[in-house]
Amino acid sequence: MREAIVIENLTKNYGGFLALDNLSLKIKENEDIALLGPNGAGKTTAIKILCGLLRPSSGTAYIEGINVVEKRELALSKVGAIVETPEFYPYLTPEEILSYLGRLRGMRGHRLKSRIKEVIKLVRLDGWAKVKIEKFSRGMKQRLAVVQALLHDPPILILDEPALGLDPRGMMEVRKIFKEARKEKTIFYASHLLTEVEQVCDKVAIIDHGRLRVYDSVASLKRKYGSLERAYLELTEAAI
Amino acid sequence: MSEFEKLKIITKYEFLKHLRRKRLYAVMGIVVVVVLSILIGLPAFGVSYPDEVTAMAGMLSVSATFASIGAVFFAGDAIAGEFERKTGYILFATPVRRTTLVIGKYLACYVAVVLIVLLGYGIVCVSLLGIYGQIPIEVGTSFVLCLLFAGSVLSLTFFFSSISKGAMGATVMTLAFIMLISGTLDGVLMMADQPSWFLLSRAGDAIIMVYPGFKAMMTAGMGMGMPAGALEYDIGLCAAAMAAYLVACFFLSIFFTRRREML
Repeated sequence: MREAIVIENLTKNYGGFLALDNLSLKIKENEDIALLGPNGAGKTTAIKILCGLLRPSSGTAYIEGINVVEKRELALSKVGAIVETPEFYPYLTPEEILSYLGRLRGMRGHRLKSRIKEVIKLVRLDGWAKVKIEKFSRGMKQRLAVVQALLHDPPILILDEPALGLDPRGMMEVRKIFKEARKEKTIFYASHLLTEVEQVCDKVAIIDHGRLRVYDSVASLKRKYGSLERAYLELTEAAI
Repeated sequence: MSEFEKLKIITKYEFLKHLRRKRLYAVMGIVVVVVLSILIGLPAFGVSYPDEVTAMAGMLSVSATFASIGAVFFAGDAIAGEFERKTGYILFATPVRRTTLVIGKYLACYVAVVLIVLLGYGIVCVSLLGIYGQIPIEVGTSFVLCLLFAGSVLSLTFFFSSISKGAMGATVMTLAFIMLISGTLDGVLMMADQPSWFLLSRAGDAIIMVYPGFKAMMTAGMGMGMPAGALEYDIGLCAAAMAAYLVACFFLSIFFTRRREML
């Protein structure tokens, strides 16, 4: 099986603060990997580098064999992403913003229109498709973030806390969407919700202070440590 | 898909954003108020309109100069806003070059500013036709210079927007640069009878100094030991200065936006 995402000796130094320290990971096609770690562990930094939003201090990353640092645009054409808590232009409607993003990704005409309808319905925003985003709650914006990541049906999803800000029903619905998506997509998923991770992902990479502590299957970690929670607590430090 | 196709899409949707925001209509409203205050204010205080049509054209064209300053309010958040409001987490993660994004945003802002300038000059032309029954040829020169000035102000704002943390900072820095730094330096150099065509505020004055009647009116009203050359404008040099600001600041904004990280 080909590797969908390769992270090679990735280091990121923010003016003296080492956010990532020689992180290396390989994720095969159609694998679903959760990236776990305490606050400040480097999860979002790794995701931002994969999405071309940050440059690594050293090391590199590949998406479907394409170097993200050198060929950013080509690599990103394979990816749907949610990074941190994204915001949308408040004076546009979901239909308009999705049309904008879809067209930038080469979608157009009837295909784009029908896909927009389809994904908006998927997150139950169909009644809000023509309403300006300025009227949206935090949770509704997060649903829209999920939609824009799925819009162009990318082979790879890179998701940073995709359920953030959602109510319990919203969390369940989003989890269901990603469980469905995992059948044919590679998912790289940063989260603090261990129960969610257990349900959505096959393998887990736990990082702390920018370093990889363990990279193993959920089942194997449960066997070794008794539970995923136990593994997380033993492999990470309490101090930030 | 080619970068040119992407550029067209970015320009279209960024312009749609301007159409949806209130500031476009607010600046248009201010332009109308400024022109009306001259047209209504003069007769209201018993002052007759100038005999010379180009003097009146110069007075009214001040509103158009203001319109080009309106560029600051569209461009201040064009780049900085993407970082400040986190909308960049979506836009910058698309497979589009940042250079294309900056050019598209610039074009959208420029189209919005051109609309305001067109409104300003439209009112100037209608007013001059109504009062004097003619539109002097200098209105055309003034219009072209105004479009150039708007482009240079836009570039300068994009430059500050590309290096500022926030949109407000970019807006304030641009206005401070044009009105305080450039304006003050222009005044000092003018008093010292030194050339100041390279300053953006001075170059921008060329927009109204192309009108001979307006220039004569200003010269007659000048005093306080101002040197004779204070109101002498080399229109070509002023246009070259504006073009230089436009090009240099535009490329600098692309350079800094490409390097900037979405922290």
